[in-house]
Amino acid sequence: MKAPIISLQGVHKYYGEHEPRLHVLKGIDLDVADGEYVSITGTSGSGKSTLLNLLGCLDNTSKGAYLLNGTDVSSYSDDELSKIRNEDIGFIFQSFNLIPQLTVFENVQVPLLYGTRSIASTTDLCHQVIESVGLSDRSEHRPSQLSGGECQRVAIARALINDPVLLLADEPTGNLDTDTGDEVLALIDDLHQQGRSVVMITHDPDVANRSQRRVDLRDGIIVEAGAA
Amino acid sequence: MIPQKQLEMVRMGLRNLVGYPMRTVLTMLGVVFGVGSVIAMLALGAGAERELLKEIGRLGIQNIIINSIKPEEPDTSSQRSNWISSYGITFKDHRQIVDTIPGIEKALPVHVSKKTVWQGSKRVEGTLYAVTPEHLDMFQLNTSVGRNLTHLDDEKLSRVCVVRSGMLTELGIFQDPIGFPLNIDNETFYIVGVLLDDSFLGYARKALSVDAKSSEIYVPYSTALRRHGTRSITRRSGSTEATDVELNQVVISVTDLDQVLVTARMLGSLLERNHPEKDYELVVPLEVLSQRQKTQQVFNMALVAIASISLLVGGIGIANIMLATVTERTKEIGVRRALGARRRHIIAQFLTETTTISTIGGGIGVLVGIGLVQVLTFFTGWSAAITLSSVALSLSISMAVGIVSGIYPARRAAGLDPISALRHE
Ligand SMILES: Nc1ncnc2c1ncn2[C@@H]1O[C@H](COP(=O)(O)OP(=O)(O)O)[C@@H](O)[C@H]1O
Ligand SMILES: [Mg+2]
Repeated sequence: MKAPIISLQGVHKYYGEHEPRLHVLKGIDLDVADGEYVSITGTSGSGKSTLLNLLGCLDNTSKGAYLLNGTDVSSYSDDELSKIRNEDIGFIFQSFNLIPQLTVFENVQVPLLYGTRSIASTTDLCHQVIESVGLSDRSEHRPSQLSGGECQRVAIARALINDPVLLLADEPTGNLDTDTGDEVLALIDDLHQQGRSVVMITHDPDVANRSQRRVDLRDGIIVEAGAA
Repeated sequence: MIPQKQLEMVRMGLRNLVGYPMRTVLTMLGVVFGVGSVIAMLALGAGAERELLKEIGRLGIQNIIINSIKPEEPDTSSQRSNWISSYGITFKDHRQIVDTIPGIEKALPVHVSKKTVWQGSKRVEGTLYAVTPEHLDMFQLNTSVGRNLTHLDDEKLSRVCVVRSGMLTELGIFQDPIGFPLNIDNETFYIVGVLLDDSFLGYARKALSVDAKSSEIYVPYSTALRRHGTRSITRRSGSTEATDVELNQVVISVTDLDQVLVTARMLGSLLERNHPEKDYELVVPLEVLSQRQKTQQVFNMALVAIASISLLVGGIGIANIMLATVTERTKEIGVRRALGARRRHIIAQFLTETTTISTIGGGIGVLVGIGLVQVLTFFTGWSAAITLSSVALSLSISMAVGIVSGIYPARRAAGLDPISALRHE
């Protein structure tokens, strides 16, 4: 078995600087193997998004270690975390989070603005990625001109532009109807098949069943972890 | 960051500005008017300075002009008539100046008198300037028709004169004026040249004691001295007034520009010794010019200060609207952070946007300023000069305004916690 890409060891997360602090994650131990597809389920407010944000290096743990690819990133600086988010992680959100005033093409380009590659050298790449999600003919459109499913596919293209090893999805189908949701999930399945690790939050058991392993979170603690 | 990415950010920033045209225009407005007024103020200042240079430069900054002035008579009522008042610069003064003061290139004598000029039934009051030929060159009194006075005229005591074209019209002379006889008092002088009709402006006229109302007639110095002498008689409301002024004016040209002020001081003390009654004045164009320039500079600074206040207000306007934008775009900032933007990228993005707004505003402001100047000069006749440096200055200032006004909003945006920003709706 390959070394885990993600390893959380006794992770706690508090919100707020003063007592009473909100204790959201209460000792999480979780490993995700390289290339694994894990789903996280749990009731609303159980800390799923908080956990995913930690995995996505959007935040530091309050206590405990987070090893990403074997390196402890729990004390990384803001700039170092930004670099990891840019290069190694692709985010997919429930509400797509596209930038409304930019075109599809420009939205997909955004992560490139913060990386080391030049814009000119990546034009073809942008077109390829947009094509891979089936939106070649929409690249000059604005998000407001697209359907929900199309928006989510743009968001996936954007997540893929820097070819990340880890995809993090927070209820990616939550705002979609079943059919378009299935298309998006199929896309995510493909990405997993290509060898990427995926961690996806969902509250839909059917969706969770597509993953290799389910992790159930309740009140900040993992209560059930097992094969889907 | 690679400049190309900066460009891309400017492009995406523009997308933002174009997306909300009304807001963008309102944001720019302060800078537009600020820069517009800076341009207009600087142009008017530069125009005033140019006028000043033209006006005083005409007198020649190497020159010093001494004018005779009639002193205030202590009691005029008792001995009103038949008294010759004698005052002013004398031939002796002139000789002393030439002999004792070093560094003088020329000391040109001038005699001025009021004369009645007549031709047929028409008569006009003229001012007779008895001058050396160099005088006309020195003050750029060029003829448009005919020739100037020459040394030969002076040596031969020729009765020739150079006149302003206005006088010809007044006397009803419409044919070829060259060789035309003019009666000046009881002598006949023949016109040899007509001056280009650009009369002296404001200060220059005063300094050269050129009467604004009557036109000048220039005659050779020696001829006038021989024909009319130094006395002149004016009849005024029944009484006769006779004056005897040997030299109404001496125009001194200093060889070395650096020595003008020193020479002026020497002249001053010489004249003070000879004329305790102070019946003369010393005009130093160089001094007047630097005084006027100082005044003008203070004035310019005041104008620019006023204009800068509107630029400042413009900057505050940008900062204010950008702050609102930061709040509005919190979510976007969170998204960008999630996609790998560092704090400095967010700062750069907002600074790029404010700088783009203010620079475009500045560009429009330059156009507005140029338009304003056109309108002002058209309606008021003021002189204005839009200089390249004032345009460059305004554009750099507006760029700086953009950067400065962007700093606070940009730091606010960059300081947002990525997660809270993402959760923001
Ligand atoms: N940035 C934050 N600041 C303060 N409280 C937060 C923050 N993020 C989440 N919370 C709180 O932490 C708890 C867990 O939230 P979240 O992880 O979003 O749950 P889930 O995604 O499972 O619904 C909630 O009570 C929420 O209000
Ligand atoms: Mg959530």
